Amino acid sequence: MLKNLNIWVLSSLLVSIGVLIPIFTVFFSFFEETSNYYQILKDTFLFEYIFNSFILLICVLALTFIIGTTCAYLVSFYKFPFSNFFKWSLILGFAVPPYIYAYSLTAFFENYGTAFTILINLFGEGEYNKYIPKFDGLLGAVLSLSFSLFAYVYILSRASFLYQSQNLIDLGRSLGFSKFKSLYSLILPAARPAIIAGLSLVAMETLAEFGAVDFFSINTLTTGIYNSWITFDDLAFSNRLSFFLLIFIFACFIIENFSRKNAKYHFNSRGGFKHKEKITLTGKKSFFAFLFCFIIFFLSFLFPLSQMLYWTIKFPENLFDIDIISLTLNTIYLVILSSIVLILFSLISNYGNRVSRNKILNFLSTISISGYAIPGVILAVAFITFIAWFDDNVVKTLGFLSIKKIFIGSVLGLVLVYFVRFYSLAFNGIKSGYEKINISVDESSYLLGYSKKKTFLNIHIPFLRNSLLFVAILISLEIIRELPITLILRPFNFETFATTAYISASEDLLEAAAVPSLFLILIATIFIMLTSKYILREE
Amino acid sequence: MKNKFLEIKNVDFIIGGKTKVKNASFDIENEGDTLCILGPSGIGKTTILRTIAGLEEVEKGSIKLNGNLMSSKDKHVEPEDRNISLSFQDNSLFPHYTVEKNIKLGAEKNATKKNKKLTFKEIIDFLDISKILKKYPHEISAGEAQRASLARSLLTKPDLLLLDEPLSNVDQSFKEEIQVKLKKILSKLKITTIIVTHDSYEAFYLGNKCAIVLDGQIKQFDDPYNVYHFPNSIEVVNFLNRGILIPAKVTGENSLENKDLGTIKGNFIKHYPKGSNVKLLLQPEDLEHDDKSNLKLEVVDRKFRGTNFIYTLKTNSNLLIPVFVHSHHEHQHEADEKFGIKRPINIDHIVCF
Repeated sequence: MLKNLNIWVLSSLLVSIGVLIPIFTVFFSFFEETSNYYQILKDTFLFEYIFNSFILLICVLALTFIIGTTCAYLVSFYKFPFSNFFKWSLILGFAVPPYIYAYSLTAFFENYGTAFTILINLFGEGEYNKYIPKFDGLLGAVLSLSFSLFAYVYILSRASFLYQSQNLIDLGRSLGFSKFKSLYSLILPAARPAIIAGLSLVAMETLAEFGAVDFFSINTLTTGIYNSWITFDDLAFSNRLSFFLLIFIFACFIIENFSRKNAKYHFNSRGGFKHKEKITLTGKKSFFAFLFCFIIFFLSFLFPLSQMLYWTIKFPENLFDIDIISLTLNTIYLVILSSIVLILFSLISNYGNRVSRNKILNFLSTISISGYAIPGVILAVAFITFIAWFDDNVVKTLGFLSIKKIFIGSVLGLVLVYFVRFYSLAFNGIKSGYEKINISVDESSYLLGYSKKKTFLNIHIPFLRNSLLFVAILISLEIIRELPITLILRPFNFETFATTAYISASEDLLEAAAVPSLFLILIATIFIMLTSKYILREE
Repeated sequence: MKNKFLEIKNVDFIIGGKTKVKNASFDIENEGDTLCILGPSGIGKTTILRTIAGLEEVEKGSIKLNGNLMSSKDKHVEPEDRNISLSFQDNSLFPHYTVEKNIKLGAEKNATKKNKKLTFKEIIDFLDISKILKKYPHEISAGEAQRASLARSLLTKPDLLLLDEPLSNVDQSFKEEIQVKLKKILSKLKITTIIVTHDSYEAFYLGNKCAIVLDGQIKQFDDPYNVYHFPNSIEVVNFLNRGILIPAKVTGENSLENKDLGTIKGNFIKHYPKGSNVKLLLQPEDLEHDDKSNLKLEVVDRKFRGTNFIYTLKTNSNLLIPVFVHSHHEHQHEADEKFGIKRPINIDHIVCF
């Protein structure tokens, strides 16, 4: 390794180590002492935390599986009215973070809420509250998470259906299988790795979710971590809970990684993807396919969007209560800064891995991308723990001034933790671009007299242009929606749309949360539409 | 003493920690010569090229180009600093550039070098790729990609050109034409070349010298004529599929005796004492058909090969012997029929082991 040590390898090694620090902090903190709160919780709430997290996980997985695969199956194999529109519009659910969905759900179904107003307008005065179902608590959290996250399953299973060979479908037909039998005995098993990969992402996001579960006051491991730090000021216990959650999440991560490896076995014929013949549905079948997709599109996107829009129009004064320009600028500032840093280092790291072909470096990169699996709450807390430890044990010992203020409650700290959290998005996005460049292309370039730097700048960068754009938009989308890290680490008086919405909602001012939520949904929608072509893998 | 143009001395060719070819030594005497490396798949031919190009490092031995040390245990000149061009077997065109841009990238290297002049147009016409210039690599066939890659390599005006199975994906009908043109252009431009191929006829046609790689070593390094007529080991005979080995006894300076075929005369390429038992290499063109001969063998099989038939004949000791017969021969023999062999049997070069 030392023989091949160059600037590329060194940079990627440093990036990997930097990303791994907070992850290791959580593991090492597990063995630290905590206050009595740990004992109390062990005897009382810990079980509830784990139980709620588990139930939430199972329900969300079941619902996202049903919604995601059914939608993917319908739009991949059948033609029906608006099927092409649903193909991409079903991913718009991504634009609505679970916590905003939770606000919409409550706003619509609460006593004297939007549903009540609609009924009054339709049927006149009446006692409708008792007839309107209440979607709060665990049920509300399950629905919010499912409609916000099902797109992971939808996108991955649709991509898998799309690349399934026409031969597979024809084989089923020639064996006399009914459509349903073809679905469960051929199509779904062939798409299994993709579906599992989608479900693993859903699982990670569910276990990491903070905003929605906090809004519905459900005690899960994530809210436990946040509360033990914020309310009880017990950072060590917070880390200890994080450890439990990480074990949960790493199990999902391993499953996800495992199934992705299998996914490589999908064959890809030379000459690119060949469109399958879609079956045109008619009559009742066509209507039901349309109805199902429409309901999902409506519930996942139109419903929260219109609820937020309705409140913004109904309470226009809220528009002037928040400084939209400042929120937009703050959000853009974070997005641009983080995207540049993430893309730059991911590029260097990817190239370092490519030129060194070093197993240790490869291993370090593989674990360093696990940051995405770690909930924002844990990362933020781990970051604070590490900075506090480093400040007390290294900086002060050496006689320097405290560095806490530089990293905690600053944009720098925020960007650093975003970096850890979203490093895998950037790294993997660029990596998948790199995987399309055969290694002999690099070798040809060297043989044409190009140095490593020139190969990187003249051959790789132009080739990766689209991947870089895609990664930048994906990172932006995540940062706009991100809540817990921003909430914990943002500088004083520095707000984004997400934090403004959360603060208003937590103060029971749901109407006030509508304006930032609406802006957040609209910006996210634009980003999704810009990337839909890539997300749907039609390029 | 005059330096050899390329000198490879006692090199272990290693890839991914695995030694593919051990302690190999060979050279290219003069600038402009072509060396063909022949061997079965996976034996390490490509590793040899990659190592010479500088893509793999050397742990033992040395590689010198034009008297300059390129690779040894202590020295490694980076590929970009060698002026050696390697055309890969698989498509290695830059996927985001058109074929034209890809080829022109080759021309950028050594653009000021004047001694070897070759225009872009000449090379395009020569390889017949003018129609695909505006296309992207994924839009062309494997054979076209190979030709485009070859064009790029030729345009770099390299000191040494390495071609890895350059025509393996080219259509058979077009292959011979390209071989002829390639030979012409390499000799016109005096480009020193190493070609890796598994096609022995391609190697014999294009190469001034041939190296046969078998069992992790260079088994024979010689002129194509010698490799063909005087294979130096049973392994080379088997690899080139040149005929069969039959038992025989040396009976004189110029003769030997086989139980089924009788006396065989010719010039031994190596001396064997009278009375030695040897294995004689019998090639399909060594025996002549003669209907009137009293030496009759049984026909087992007949293969039509265009200009000739190859008959497989069975001797009394159950040896299976191949014999060429011109396809315009007045009659054909069916399986189980008797087939006459002209006597006495005369073989120009007697190769024995």
